[in-house]
Amino acid sequence: MLEDLDQIHRSALAEATSIPDETALEEFRVRYLGKKGSLTAAAARMKDLAPADRPLFGQKLNEVRAAITAALEDRSSALMAAKDAQAAQGIDPTLPARPLHRGSLHPLSQVLDRAVDTLRRMGFALAEGPEVETEWHCFDALNTPPDHPARKESDTYYFPNGKLLRTHTSSVQIRTMESASSVPVRIIAPGTAFRRDEIDETHSISFTQLEGLYVDRDVSLADLKGTLEAFFQVIFGAGTEIRFRPHFFPFTEPSFEIDVKLRTVGRAERWVEIAGCGLVDPAVFAAVTKCRKDDLFHPDLVTGFAFGMGVDRLAMIQYGIPDLRLFNENDVRFLRQFV
Amino acid sequence: MKVSLSWLSDHLDLSRKSVPEMAALLTAAGIEVEGIQSAPENVVVARIESSQRHPDADKLSVCEVNDGGPELRQIVCGAKNYEVGDHVPLALPGAKIGDMVIKIGKLRGVDSQGMLCSARELGLSEDASGLMILSRDLAPGTPFDEVCPPVFDLEVTPNRPDLLSHLGLARELAALTGLRLRRPATFTATEPGRAAKTSEVTIQDEDTCPYYSARIIRKVKVRPSPAWLQEKLQAIGLRPINNVVDITNFILMEMGQPLHAFDLARLKGGIRVRRATAGEEFPALDGQTYRLTDQDCVIADSKSALALAGVMGGEPSGVTAATTDILLEAAYFDPSQIRRTSHRHGIHTDSSYRFERGVDPAQVTAASQAAVHLILELAGGKVEAGPVWAGELPSSDVTVSLDNAYCRRLIGYPIAPAEITRILKALGLRKEGAKWRIPSYRLDLRRPVDLVEEVARVHGLERIPARVAAPFVPPSRADQEYDFRRILRSRLSHLGFQECQTIKLISEAQLAHDVATQHRNLAPLRVKNPMTEPHTFLRPGLVPSLLRIAEHNVRMGTTDLRLFEIGTVFAASPKGQAIELQHLGLVATGRLEPASWRAPKPELIDFASLRGLLEQLCPGCAVDLLPIDDPRLLVAAEIKIGESKVGLAGLLHPATARCLDLLHPVLVAELAIKKVMGVLETKSVFAPLPRFPAITRDVAIEAASNLPCQAVTDFFRSCGEPLLESFQLFDLFVDPSGTKLAADRKSLAWTLTYRSSNETLATAQVDEAHRRLLDRLKSALPVTFR
Repeated sequence: MLEDLDQIHRSALAEATSIPDETALEEFRVRYLGKKGSLTAAAARMKDLAPADRPLFGQKLNEVRAAITAALEDRSSALMAAKDAQAAQGIDPTLPARPLHRGSLHPLSQVLDRAVDTLRRMGFALAEGPEVETEWHCFDALNTPPDHPARKESDTYYFPNGKLLRTHTSSVQIRTMESASSVPVRIIAPGTAFRRDEIDETHSISFTQLEGLYVDRDVSLADLKGTLEAFFQVIFGAGTEIRFRPHFFPFTEPSFEIDVKLRTVGRAERWVEIAGCGLVDPAVFAAVTKCRKDDLFHPDLVTGFAFGMGVDRLAMIQYGIPDLRLFNENDVRFLRQFV
Repeated sequence: MKVSLSWLSDHLDLSRKSVPEMAALLTAAGIEVEGIQSAPENVVVARIESSQRHPDADKLSVCEVNDGGPELRQIVCGAKNYEVGDHVPLALPGAKIGDMVIKIGKLRGVDSQGMLCSARELGLSEDASGLMILSRDLAPGTPFDEVCPPVFDLEVTPNRPDLLSHLGLARELAALTGLRLRRPATFTATEPGRAAKTSEVTIQDEDTCPYYSARIIRKVKVRPSPAWLQEKLQAIGLRPINNVVDITNFILMEMGQPLHAFDLARLKGGIRVRRATAGEEFPALDGQTYRLTDQDCVIADSKSALALAGVMGGEPSGVTAATTDILLEAAYFDPSQIRRTSHRHGIHTDSSYRFERGVDPAQVTAASQAAVHLILELAGGKVEAGPVWAGELPSSDVTVSLDNAYCRRLIGYPIAPAEITRILKALGLRKEGAKWRIPSYRLDLRRPVDLVEEVARVHGLERIPARVAAPFVPPSRADQEYDFRRILRSRLSHLGFQECQTIKLISEAQLAHDVATQHRNLAPLRVKNPMTEPHTFLRPGLVPSLLRIAEHNVRMGTTDLRLFEIGTVFAASPKGQAIELQHLGLVATGRLEPASWRAPKPELIDFASLRGLLEQLCPGCAVDLLPIDDPRLLVAAEIKIGESKVGLAGLLHPATARCLDLLHPVLVAELAIKKVMGVLETKSVFAPLPRFPAITRDVAIEAASNLPCQAVTDFFRSCGEPLLESFQLFDLFVDPSGTKLAADRKSLAWTLTYRSSNETLATAQVDEAHRRLLDRLKSALPVTFR
């Protein structure tokens, strides 16, 4: 009987080292240790032994079971290790990717978002107004003379009811002051403006503008200068030279154009016009006051500054884009360049 | 406006100012320098001493020229328009002409030591017809920048008509630099005139012409102007005509007052300033005949219109070589009337440009007088005593007060009162008690704020300290909406979508591609004055433009496209008012992922993928696509997020897609942002995590193939089975051959997940719940179980 155990022990250990895979391993386990396995069968015969022989047999049986179990575990570990090693095979990290579609935000959005973020940090809130606008909001209230060329049908899109497509976002200044319940008013208004123009590399019939307005008891040129210098230093980099050049707009007095000095690789340093600004003309406050029928924006009580810039122009300068039409063509090979 | 530096130097000493300094000075004053025309360096005047044909080239000549040096220079030249003895510009070796640097070299084997130049080569005019022939008075060797001093092209803002002349500009520069003006800032007439008799001048249109004056000069000799005058005009791009016309142009550019000279012999009776009759024909100096309206003002004699007031003279009454007696007009015209006439007929002249901005009323008569002096000097003749005039010049008696505190409040910095006074006095304002008297030419100074502008401008913003201080401003509704759109944009770009921005005006044909649902029964908005057909309607939706972009990109070779745009769409209310809404448009076509070695042939995007993208866009919300009939799409479904219908998704009709060269299925969607925002703005609320295990059961439901899956989904959602936690479709089986399943049937296989929040479910409990559910399903829908 004990020889049987020895026999089982020997053959199991001999067999275990050459078990090829997990299936054979399980089959091996069943064959020796399973309910009908040979070791189990041998164990069953213990009752046939004389009681005196049983302890020795039992001891031997346990030894053999432990040895087979250990061999089984060793083999299992070896097989697992071999399999793990195999899993690494064929993985070549230098193979190209299985890529995903890559999306992007429009360059105008990216430039605008950055400008909006910067101005919000400086305490401006967003405002908006309709794109189909009244002549009053777009021109009259902004102190534009009745026969100003911008009002002509050759320059501005009109509708049969006399409304128009706003030619600038400055109309939002009026909309905001009309409905404001208190001062200060400190807003920015990004939006589309329309001009009846031939489309070419520097002209379009519509473009994105960013308007700003700050009205309070004593807003001055010093505030205008400080705010816009700080803003353009963020947009174009600290240390960028900025100059305010006297100009003329009907709705601001005094008025300035803002130039920044650009240093681009391969080009001579140059001043580039980037925005218009000025102190809100008292005539604009007077128009708002007349319409509101109260004194919140009375020209004697408040002052303010306003500014406006072309987002398209900012983007062209920042990315070196030569042709305005690329923005509306939306060729994805173009769009993907701006991450 | 072109301004010659040498002409300006007649009025003040600019010899110490370099061209860049001048440009900086003008820029700082608010006068934009659009261009500077100046002769290249190393160009001198040369006299052609001899000219012979090139031995080896018929079209070339070999000239010997005197450049003022001891020896003659040999130059090979291609022009033919010169004679020996002519003075011409010579570019010496080292001169830069255009992009070319002149060198000593050989031309077809013959030595050439420089280049003789045309006006165009020197960047002075478009005249490339031959060498620029110069006055023989110029000594050979004279540097060319003395012959052609720099000319500035200036953009003067519309509020400053007083700068539209050399004198006006000199006056401004004197104020800014402290240089002394050589002549007084304003001319006033010294010779009294007399009121015209009605037989001489009558003004019938006082709105347009408040004031008209005429001088008569007889027995003038009309001939070419002397060289100095011709050169002055040529330098700023004007063509010399004859001495009389040139003098009127000179006074215009010198003083800013347009004048006009009529041939007196062509006048029948006195001058009548009247409205044109509707349809009246006017043969203008430019050779064209204009049909006038009764809104136009003309200068007429007793018979016909001689000039379109303030805009252009007439052809028949112009001064010619045959003219002996002239009538010189000096008038004041109303700016807006002249602007309207000028724009109505599209005639823009140096005269109309100045009248429509406003001329200096105090200078009208002085300009006339200055012109008469010059005419007598250059054309001889005899002037009839005193000008005759009709009407009245507008008053230029204006005073404005400026309070130092107001100035300080607007500038935000105390500029010393002495400095304010210095600035305003330099600009020609005079202090009268507490007020400032405004010079007649400063039409833009009417209010205290206008004086603040002058102080700020001249003092310079760079000298005013910047202040950075801001009050707290709470975020607005617009902020929230902007942020929400930004979240959507960010999600979409991470889902592989390209953001597009398109022009909001589209063509009539594109309207057919619109799939917006919210306002589909409203008319689109058409602009009254479209410029081109492609931009006629305000877009009612975003899909039409996105399809155009898809078409463009496919044509350019990009066939996997995921495009979106967020922006305003428009419709007309029944009363014709514009409605503006924010929309999101999506267009997707092509493969689900880019082809690669791992996935050489990825599947094309389909409805289920679009739905997946929409679910990613609205995380945490139930997104349903409810089929509807929509003739615009092959398959269409309303998009329902939560309880709200937010837009339309669909498969573009292949016929439409083919028209746009889109060969793969094209999925489109259009959503109203406000509605999406309404759903997504609801706050997330914490739910306790399940503590007990779930048990699943699978079921295959057989149904007619036209039963929408939504019917089953809706049943599961509303069945009220408390233990049912979730349900997932894991297989859809159809068999068109009818072998395994009837051809008009389909099998939907679902995994149903059961869970209790209170206990671990026993198998029997789940079986019971599952059976209950299926029984109810069977009675609710025409389905069987497989």
